[in-house]
Amino acid sequence: MSPRPTLGSRGVALPAACDVAIVGGGVMGLATAYHLSQVSRLRVVVLERSYLVSGASGRNGGGVRMQWGDEGNVRIMMESIEICRGLTQELGINLWFRQGGYLFVARTEAGEARLIRNAELHRAIGAPTRLMSAEEARELVPDLEVSGIRLAAFNAEDGVVFPWPFVWGYAGQAIRRGVVVRTHTAAIAAEPDGSGMRLRLSTGEHLRAQIVVNATGAWSHDLNRSLGIALPNRPHRHEILSTEPLKPFLNPLVVDLQSGLYFSQSTRGEVVAGITVPGGHDDGTVVDQRSSLRFLAHLGANLVALMPRLGALKVLRQWAGPYDVSPDGEAIVGPTPGIPALLQVCGFTGHGFMMAPAVGRILANYIAHQQRHPMLERWDPARFAGGATLRREDMIIG
Amino acid sequence: MTQRMFICRCEDVTVAEVDHAIGIGLESVEEIKRYTGLGTGPCQGKECTVALVHLLLDRGRITASAVQPFTARPPAEPVTLAELASLAELTGPAELAAPAELASPAGEAPPSGATP
Amino acid sequence: MIGADSLLRAREPSALAGARRLTVFYDERPIPASDADTVTSALLGVGVVATGRSLKYRRPRGPYCLQGDCGTCLVRIDGVPNHRACTTPVRDGMRVERQNRVLAGGPDPTALVDRLFASNIDHHHFMVRPKLVNRMMQDVARNLAGLGTLPDLPAAAVRPMEHRPQVLVVGAGRSGLAATARLRAAGLEVECLDRFDARWSTPTAQAVRWETPVFGIYPAEGVIAAIGGTADDRTLHTFRPSHVLIATGARDVMVPVPNNDLPGVFAARGLLGLLTRTDTALNCPTIVVGAPAVAQPLAARLGASFVAVDDVQAILGGSRVEAIATSSGKREAGCVALAARPAPVSELARQAGAEVVWMDAGFAVARDELGRCGQGPWTLWACGEACGVTADVAADDGLRVADNILAAVRSRPDRGPR
Repeated sequence: MSPRPTLGSRGVALPAACDVAIVGGGVMGLATAYHLSQVSRLRVVVLERSYLVSGASGRNGGGVRMQWGDEGNVRIMMESIEICRGLTQELGINLWFRQGGYLFVARTEAGEARLIRNAELHRAIGAPTRLMSAEEARELVPDLEVSGIRLAAFNAEDGVVFPWPFVWGYAGQAIRRGVVVRTHTAAIAAEPDGSGMRLRLSTGEHLRAQIVVNATGAWSHDLNRSLGIALPNRPHRHEILSTEPLKPFLNPLVVDLQSGLYFSQSTRGEVVAGITVPGGHDDGTVVDQRSSLRFLAHLGANLVALMPRLGALKVLRQWAGPYDVSPDGEAIVGPTPGIPALLQVCGFTGHGFMMAPAVGRILANYIAHQQRHPMLERWDPARFAGGATLRREDMIIG
Repeated sequence: MTQRMFICRCEDVTVAEVDHAIGIGLESVEEIKRYTGLGTGPCQGKECTVALVHLLLDRGRITASAVQPFTARPPAEPVTLAELASLAELTGPAELAAPAELASPAGEAPPSGATP
Repeated sequence: MIGADSLLRAREPSALAGARRLTVFYDERPIPASDADTVTSALLGVGVVATGRSLKYRRPRGPYCLQGDCGTCLVRIDGVPNHRACTTPVRDGMRVERQNRVLAGGPDPTALVDRLFASNIDHHHFMVRPKLVNRMMQDVARNLAGLGTLPDLPAAAVRPMEHRPQVLVVGAGRSGLAATARLRAAGLEVECLDRFDARWSTPTAQAVRWETPVFGIYPAEGVIAAIGGTADDRTLHTFRPSHVLIATGARDVMVPVPNNDLPGVFAARGLLGLLTRTDTALNCPTIVVGAPAVAQPLAARLGASFVAVDDVQAILGGSRVEAIATSSGKREAGCVALAARPAPVSELARQAGAEVVWMDAGFAVARDELGRCGQGPWTLWACGEACGVTADVAADDGLRVADNILAAVRSRPDRGPR
């Protein structure tokens, strides 16, 4: 006899109705479900269209940093990193959270100015970012090619995680507390149903819920379209690779502001690296997860230039995942204009994974207790309607 | 030497560990790859995938007519960062061809599992 | 000087000693080698079967597949980590080093992990609490993980080279060579690539780019990429052909029997390939394990004995194979060869967009009656063992598909190389 499933299943029975239906079994939806199970007695169902970690939560580089340009984002990430410190024990699964820091390097005057401005902001609110010269940066990363680097910024509290167990950890604990996690089941349409909503599922089933959370990120158009909602977030293909595993040689995650190159070394020893490929394209609203040779070439050239000793490293595999890009680089979280029973939690523009520990808690407290975290105003889905000038986060990488 | 029966030697994954993953509700090749780490090491599944499929068939978790291997991600053979860097000046436009241009001969769309 | 524990011996007495005019250094110890040797065969010639340690249980590991697929024969060569020993031809003066050892000399204390954790280590839930212990465990795990250390030097320069042949044939085995010959005889411009050197293949008059593995097929970019050349003169080839013929053959896979990871356990077909390449025979009692129909013929060719896989209770040994325990008692063995049906190699076909179907031996490329399996920037074809065809008729299959490629080219003469 096999033990009871603990990581979600396509076979688990769905109720006809629940209080909160979370569409999307990525880290955002599952963190929200986990916190709801802690702060409320609401009946929660999570629907995942494929298997857990199949989407962007299973495809990202696992970076976690508080070095942002916007005070709100710095604070959110300070909160998230604080949660991460004890999360392995809280979720009962190894997350391989390692605080090796993030090292940003700037090659232009503008980049230098950004690092200086951000470091001042960080210091003012208690984030321990320090500026350093190229030579000091080389002490942190001995084989770094520092010619052309004007300034660097380092925050030792930043770090990396292994993304997959985050998702399983939240799922496992949520299920243990009574949340239903159904995999291989997509919500293909939604319609208003009294004060709540009714979801039509890919399995032919239906699910009624008082509140529906669209936590499908880059795929959020699929559900929104069925309600005539057109939010301005767009999926953008982002590529990444990992190399053969080596013994530890690199502590921080290194980011080159100029090229958008980032690379780190995982606990398993692989170098995980991504980069912005110039001449980007419009993906429309369709998620494209294909890999390209062009990415390999562009990443190889930039990484070898920044750290020549990595030139003989062999690439083990490449893959792609979607960034869920919003016009101002800020998330889209809260009630949908005109449909208050539908909450959006999307538009995280490549930093949703690292913010999920904090956002899950914020969203759960909002749903269960109507607590309004200050960031919910900034993230209001209605902000795009008025034509107001949007503040833009300037530390989006990749 | 402790007696162990390996299915993936790169990542030291035993048959008992795959059975444990099956026991907690994971049933597909992709899920078991991610949970156990099988197929993520230097061989990228070349040694273990077939043995895993035999095991899942034996355990009644999958059917032979529907089973697919996990995505074949490039590179299929070792290639270094410096070797790839040599292409930086040569590679073509950023745009990828639209998926529709890559249909199979019969004209049907590629299966969703084939996205890299 | 060949030790008594050598796994290999010359077929002709005294032939080997004369041929062994090269010297490679294994952890600074000089080892004789011949032109035909790979790093692995040179090491087996002096009785070395274990070249590393496994990631989690810290068990001794060495080569298995002997065909460049499996990934446990990785060694540091001339200052660069993680080279596959089994397919790297030796060069005189080559420096080969073991990887993933805690101490340079003497016994490895981490070998205890295998005994201390006799049940499986569940790495997701291992030492999660308390926090301090978890942190120490992570530090230890991080230092035990990873194979090898950073390369000594930056990599040498690499040349890119573009090609636009009418047909690109991927694989110079039976079916790929047969197809290449037929297409060239008809006047087509054909590039034929193989990932290994010519010594692994049957002799051929066809021009083949040996040691040039295709590593990626990118239909959305219309390009196929391969890396070739010698260790210090590398060329990155890109191909934009009108037709691609996948002839990637079949490989040996793992057979789950207890202790199937011990050094000295090899894939039977891979072992046969190594003996053929180096013109050697086995120098120790060898047992082929598998289903009778597959394993018995291989046992005969290897000069080994045979045990049905269902009769095997466990492979026995410590740092290397010593015996196997069977239902009828213990049998001594210096090496064990596992024999499964060869599995079609379909990764590149799948990258190109082809579909695969499960056959009992593995996933075979699915193709139509002509041999086509995809249409995009090129027409994609497949032949031979990659499609589940058996080795004895693979060449005929290659000829048949080549004829269909010819017919396709002739029906659309305007579509030459682009």
